[in-house]
Amino acid sequence: MKFQIPIGPQHPALKEPISLRMTVEGEVITDADIRLGYNHRGVEKVAEGKNYIQNIYLTERICGICSHSHSTCFVQGVEKLMELEPPKRGMYIRYLVSELERIHSHLLWLGVAGHEAGFDSFFMYVWRDREIVMDLLEMITGNRVHYAINTVGGVRRDLDEAQKAKILEGVATLRKRSEYYLDLGANEPSFVARIAGVGLLSLEQVISLCAVGPTARASGWDRDVRKEDPYAVYDELDFEVATADTCDVLGRVVVRIKEVLEAYKMIEQMMKNLPDGDIACKAPRKAKPGEVVSRYEAPRGENIHYIKANGTDKPERLKVRAPTLGNYPATVEMLKNGFIADIPLIFAAIDPCICCAERAVTLVSARTGEESVVSTAELRKLALARTKNAPVKRNAVWPL
Amino acid sequence: MRIAAFLPELLRHLFKKPATIDYPFKKIAVPPGFRGTPYLRPELCIVCKACERDCPAEAIEISDVDPAEKRFRMIIHNDRCIHCAQCVDSCPTNPKAMQIDNLHEIAADDRHKLKAEWIYVRAVIKPKAAAPAAPAAPAAEPKA
Repeated sequence: MKFQIPIGPQHPALKEPISLRMTVEGEVITDADIRLGYNHRGVEKVAEGKNYIQNIYLTERICGICSHSHSTCFVQGVEKLMELEPPKRGMYIRYLVSELERIHSHLLWLGVAGHEAGFDSFFMYVWRDREIVMDLLEMITGNRVHYAINTVGGVRRDLDEAQKAKILEGVATLRKRSEYYLDLGANEPSFVARIAGVGLLSLEQVISLCAVGPTARASGWDRDVRKEDPYAVYDELDFEVATADTCDVLGRVVVRIKEVLEAYKMIEQMMKNLPDGDIACKAPRKAKPGEVVSRYEAPRGENIHYIKANGTDKPERLKVRAPTLGNYPATVEMLKNGFIADIPLIFAAIDPCICCAERAVTLVSARTGEESVVSTAELRKLALARTKNAPVKRNAVWPL
Repeated sequence: MRIAAFLPELLRHLFKKPATIDYPFKKIAVPPGFRGTPYLRPELCIVCKACERDCPAEAIEISDVDPAEKRFRMIIHNDRCIHCAQCVDSCPTNPKAMQIDNLHEIAADDRHKLKAEWIYVRAVIKPKAAAPAAPAAPAAEPKA
């Protein structure tokens, strides 16, 4: 017997609102349907009304975890539009923050994976170690989450010798801890048994569904923008693209731990070869008419920003393709033939960042299921009517 | 493969101090360069409005009070402020009229209490003298 289970938009297993409708036969999922649009913020429209400097901070707020990815992707594009050549030292500091962010994002995800697999002590220890990299980021940039270190033409803050020493010291501690976790993953049979064989996605499916990031690399598809289309400093760094061939959640854990280890290597190289000189060059306020596509390897996969300039100090159009959006079609395939109990684990394994990927809202009538397009004013009228008809709870009293 | 590989690590931590601290009683110092709350040094401000133009959150508001006396009012809406310190970067004066301190515990029970307001006379920059113009004494005090 077939029936549908709605998971979300509000559900304890999900951290952000998204609607997953599972068609199940008994305990086995036969089909999945993902519906987006519960957390739409209209970021792209807001960007059209702000100048390039303001937009750096706006794009930074697309995501809370990979905030630096979005602002770097945007700034890279604007620098290309303005034909700027940012100084090398500035670039090294920018991509140093990038790699530190990758470490913090992957450690966060490792903790979440442990939590979803029921290994909560792992979650606590990984997150405690993540504090080290958070403190490093706070020391370099002045804030723990929204670093705001990018500016058009370079970065806003310089590094001194004491900070360099602290970064190297922090990275050495983290490397020891990450190696311990890699060893633990190989040795803890219950954890491995929970995540092995869950959420299978074959290499052919990865290619046909255009999966990105660690999800794709865990199926042996070694695509990484840093290696294929090396931007800024990545052609000067020696690193390997981490892959796994198990095609399941276990592979995604292994890829992320390996990537963290590669990031330590890159940070040490960057600290050793940090050139002298300026950290930023002077940037004009206006960009010449033109368009640009900027690519960036975010912790979750390839991030794409399209910017169109019209000669003023504001962009005419900003289009953001967050990596999570690229992974949704693959998620549907991963969920098929899985169990209901595996849904949170499989869904968490793509490291979903739901409100980064929200680009549209569909209005669906609850009664008829009809989809419609309405203006903001009409939507507001509908919302007001809804609250007016809701039962009044203002005068409710505590019955005891 | 061995059972309970994590156990030694857990046992080792039984004899360690907690990683957390008793927050309201003990506090961790913020690092130097932390971006806290922005404030104005009204004796230095030349009212170029660069901070107002570049503020991503539109938290800075500069308006005329008395055009004849060149008296202006700046309001910083700390409830909207996103603490990016772009106003400090955009400020063209030297030393900078817009500054940021490391205060981060600025919560209030009403968003209007977070407003900071200054009424001041525009500073005049003398091209040679490095010292800024003397502050307009009675009006330069922050009101809120």
